[in-house]
Amino acid sequence: MTTGALIFAFNNEHTDYVGMAAWSADRIRRYLDIPVAVITDCTDPSQLNKFDQIILSDPVSGGTRYFDDYKETVTWYNAGRTDAYSLTPWDQTLLLDADYVVCSNELKCVLDLPQDFMCHRLAWDITSITDFSGLNYFGQHKMPMWWATVMMFRRSNMSQYIFDCMAMIKNNWKHYKDLYHITGSHYRNDYALSIALGIVSGHTLKVDNIPWMLASVLPEHEITQVDEDHFEINYQDQGKMKRMSWHGMDFHAMGKKHLGDIIASAV
Amino acid sequence: MPVQSERGYLIVAQNIGTVDYVGCAIQLAQSIRHFHPDAQIALLTDSTTVQSDQFDYHVNFTHPLGDNPYANDWQVFGASPFRQTIKLEADMIIASEIDHWWTMFEHRDVVISTGARDFYDQPATSRFYRKVFDTNNLPDVYNAITYWRLSETAQEFFQLVRRIFECWAEYRTLLKFPDEVSSTDLVYAMAAHIIGPERVTMPFATYPRIVHMKRYMIPIHSQDWTKELTWESNPLRINTVAQWGAVHYHVKDWRHD
Repeated sequence: MTTGALIFAFNNEHTDYVGMAAWSADRIRRYLDIPVAVITDCTDPSQLNKFDQIILSDPVSGGTRYFDDYKETVTWYNAGRTDAYSLTPWDQTLLLDADYVVCSNELKCVLDLPQDFMCHRLAWDITSITDFSGLNYFGQHKMPMWWATVMMFRRSNMSQYIFDCMAMIKNNWKHYKDLYHITGSHYRNDYALSIALGIVSGHTLKVDNIPWMLASVLPEHEITQVDEDHFEINYQDQGKMKRMSWHGMDFHAMGKKHLGDIIASAV
Repeated sequence: MPVQSERGYLIVAQNIGTVDYVGCAIQLAQSIRHFHPDAQIALLTDSTTVQSDQFDYHVNFTHPLGDNPYANDWQVFGASPFRQTIKLEADMIIASEIDHWWTMFEHRDVVISTGARDFYDQPATSRFYRKVFDTNNLPDVYNAITYWRLSETAQEFFQLVRRIFECWAEYRTLLKFPDEVSSTDLVYAMAAHIIGPERVTMPFATYPRIVHMKRYMIPIHSQDWTKELTWESNPLRINTVAQWGAVHYHVKDWRHD
């Protein structure tokens, strides 16, 4: 049985997602000791030499989205994610966002678990300024949200049902957006995943979650890298500038710009 | 009333104003029978014209009724035809099998359900309707599901419930910020507090807990969830989420198919 990581990387006008995925691939190999595949439209060999497998695919946009770190609306090539099940070269896949920063071997625990599919139910703001109540739920009636940032899946009926269901939701987004009273028009993988998990669980919302919460850094918080697995953020809390640093903890860098700057300076 | 059956469900339905609690009770009985066709179900009502084959027993209140319809609740103890009774509030629907409740209850004399859920099956965290409970450190009971077996504890409990209802003017002086008119949940909570919550509640149990559909218990923006949320029948799903156990729908004229 093969086990590996999978990252989607489609550059847009602001972010070098391929570079971000390559930087992440090094870290995944170092901490998790698994090969990394990338799904991309990039054909430049010099940008792809960090990956064990390269799967070429066309970018699929889910719309545009405003990012606080860029202070601009940017194109978001997120909608191809539903193809992960059919495109992955691995029997057991750890599907990671390019902006998920691996700093530890904690995801090895997830790879060792017997479940066919797992993801995070809750994320938390590492500064604790916000309680993420607006991000851990979606729609006007606060449907519980599961995060598509980290997904572990095995080739199995359950995983296939979930990805097929996500594809159905994406293809009928207007209907599901109305059904779940989602404001805003853009498609999000997190919403599609959450709705799919609801459907596949028989509408019970009984889902196997990764047994810890997803540590997250908000886009407006400036991240810097101090050392290999040592990061810092500078942020404002009630008018005061504060600094927080941490070692050896994976996190989701929700702001692409600051992470992009770290990667650019590393290169 | 003499015991006529070992165990059964008792639904209280006293029509108030334009609210058709008897209609609610019939709907509740139908939902119980959907999962438990052989269940014994009694209707306790002030109406003499109820024609429904959903009930095995039609029972009338044994004592004169007071002006406050809630204040007649103490009569359930004497009126039940069962040795073991689960009393259910009429404006609820049963969305799954519930006979495992008996297994949990049968070793106790009295159990009043504690806490509530939202329709996502998460513990309800809103205290909007429970301020007087919290202020007075009363147990968070919901009389919507109450079990008792014929026992001294049950008799003592319902005698106390009666006394609190009948002497509300005095008992309310024991509370900080009391309600003007007594409500069944508050009176049950006071009675439970007086005779000992450990004797009449199981706060450690995660079920049975009602799904509470009142305005501030769930994330809706209007009083009437039936007009705001998507719901489907058979099986009952609210906002696509499958429901189980007892759903306190609160909107009295909602009729589930």
